[in-house]
Amino acid sequence: MPGLGFDNYKRNQYLADHGVPMPTATSTGTTIVGCRFNGGVVIAADTRATAGDIVADKNCEKLHRISPNIWCAGAGTAADTEMVTQLESSNVELHALSTGRQPRVVAVLTHLKQHLFKYQGHIGAYLIVAGVDPTGPKLFSIHAHGSTDVGFYLSLGSGSMAAMAVLESRWKKDLTKEEAMQLCADAIESGIWNDLGSGSNVDMCVMEQDKPAKMYRNYRKPNERAQKEKSYRFPRGTTAVLAQSVRSLVDVIETTPQSMEVDA
Amino acid sequence: MAGKDCIAIACDLRLGMQSVGVSSNFEKIFEYDSVYLGLTGLATDVITLSEEFRMKHNMYKMREERRMEPDTFANLVSSSLYEKRFGPYFVGPIVAGLNSKTGKPFICGFDLIGAIDFAKDFIVAGTATDQLYGMCESLWEPDLEPEDLFETISQALLNAQDRDALSGWGAVVYIITKDKVVKRLLKTRQD
Amino acid sequence: MAGGAADCQFWETWLNTQCRLHELRNKERISVAAASKILANLTYSYKGAGLSMGTMICGYTKREGPAIFYVDSDGERLQGDLFCVGSGQTFAYGVLDKNYKWELTVEEALDLGKRSILAATHRDAYSGGSVNLYHVTEQGWVYHGNYDVGTELWDAKDREQSFNHIVTSIPS
Repeated sequence: MPGLGFDNYKRNQYLADHGVPMPTATSTGTTIVGCRFNGGVVIAADTRATAGDIVADKNCEKLHRISPNIWCAGAGTAADTEMVTQLESSNVELHALSTGRQPRVVAVLTHLKQHLFKYQGHIGAYLIVAGVDPTGPKLFSIHAHGSTDVGFYLSLGSGSMAAMAVLESRWKKDLTKEEAMQLCADAIESGIWNDLGSGSNVDMCVMEQDKPAKMYRNYRKPNERAQKEKSYRFPRGTTAVLAQSVRSLVDVIETTPQSMEVDA
Repeated sequence: MAGKDCIAIACDLRLGMQSVGVSSNFEKIFEYDSVYLGLTGLATDVITLSEEFRMKHNMYKMREERRMEPDTFANLVSSSLYEKRFGPYFVGPIVAGLNSKTGKPFICGFDLIGAIDFAKDFIVAGTATDQLYGMCESLWEPDLEPEDLFETISQALLNAQDRDALSGWGAVVYIITKDKVVKRLLKTRQD
Repeated sequence: MAGGAADCQFWETWLNTQCRLHELRNKERISVAAASKILANLTYSYKGAGLSMGTMICGYTKREGPAIFYVDSDGERLQGDLFCVGSGQTFAYGVLDKNYKWELTVEEALDLGKRSILAATHRDAYSGGSVNLYHVTEQGWVYHGNYDVGTELWDAKDREQSFNHIVTSIPS
């Protein structure tokens, strides 16, 4: 029961060898960035999830909370980034409880990289981990194979080059919070426009020293759908129905009026 | 599909081995009290999982002495699928239901290893995925009443499955509102 | 015609050209045997090159009477009274074999042909849409219409109480 099962592995290999197509897993094509500023750190992500060349989700969440002050942006296989991040979140809480200390970003980083290294890249999670802890604001990235990087500004995902182009040209030391937010949002937008694997909106999370982290869901929405000009509503009765059955979810209690007394 | 205080879930009835149709009465929608699960993919996995979820759902009910909400069920599906990360079930599940407390429509879909796709509008799965995306993206509109939602989801499914060789052979639609569930069997092409 | 649409379309128009040339050269309509052999020789010459065709060449001549030749992209050529070709051939054979007899009237033959295709479109995922009916006579072919499977199948089900596995009610 616990852990990851390989029960169907041989069967699936057999199926694959006999020409049964493997269903496509959703991946977060993705542009994610992180950037440090004076007194904190900000991370941002686009909101497109893809399955092959189909946009599976136009507004998914790629910013995951590991602890109230440590957040993580994920690229790669959608299920892996989600699950690895949930697992870490749960472990971090237990660790904080047992040590009686606030969770630290380096601890999260080390734990995640050891987990991913153990799986030799088969868990396709590419993460930007950021947060503030008693030792200050921190920003790291982790690749699926377990390697990690430290930086003042980082980008990951299929749109990382587009984002990095913006970061490289505009990043400077001692950014203000507002400047960092603007820079990150612009870097993600660069991914949204120039990378086919990224799209839709910008999500952002700002973590500042001694302040609760602030999540900005859909910080920018540069791709809002215009109102449809025509309704394709069908007249009722369009569809031919062969049979129908109704399941009532309310208990119908029949009540007969209690003896009614009428004055003669 | 989500509508105004209602949701609809629909599936075709075909079970086939490659080009040969085997059964025209293979429902892919399963009821767990008032949570609805649509399961497409490899038939053996559809049956295995539907029964596993039935068991897990019943266990939850007994332990917690309350009904399972759709979002809770969605997380159950997700973690169950991820448990088989490196030997996955070949399925494309969707979950639909109304939250019993708030009455809010809840719909979501998954990939085969449990990544959840939360949506406000519609979720599609199966061999006719591409066709269904096209139909739903153009036909769906917000706040449809149950009867209008029925027409919309039915026409979306019908026209999509007619463009997919491996789907069809009948269809069923469930329209779920807070006080009743209407199940309709549609008249479809049989080729 | 069954198999690669382009292969069939191209080589059958080409075959039509060859038949017309035969007619001009010999002042006589080509025989079904000869026509089918032109195509069979052609497909054989392309054997292994990846052509995909399954065809029936049907005709009615003074010399041969009614004749059907099966020609495919392997280069095979067979004469017979009854053939089904394509991904749904087995299903069509099922109906055809049960009901076929030489003494069929034209109307019965047309109905049986239609019913066989109907069965095939139902079971085979890659067959469907509508049925085209032709009656080939010595004078040429007579078109007997296009029938939409969508309605035709429900009609057949009602009429002959067949296709009983199709569910029409919700079991309680």
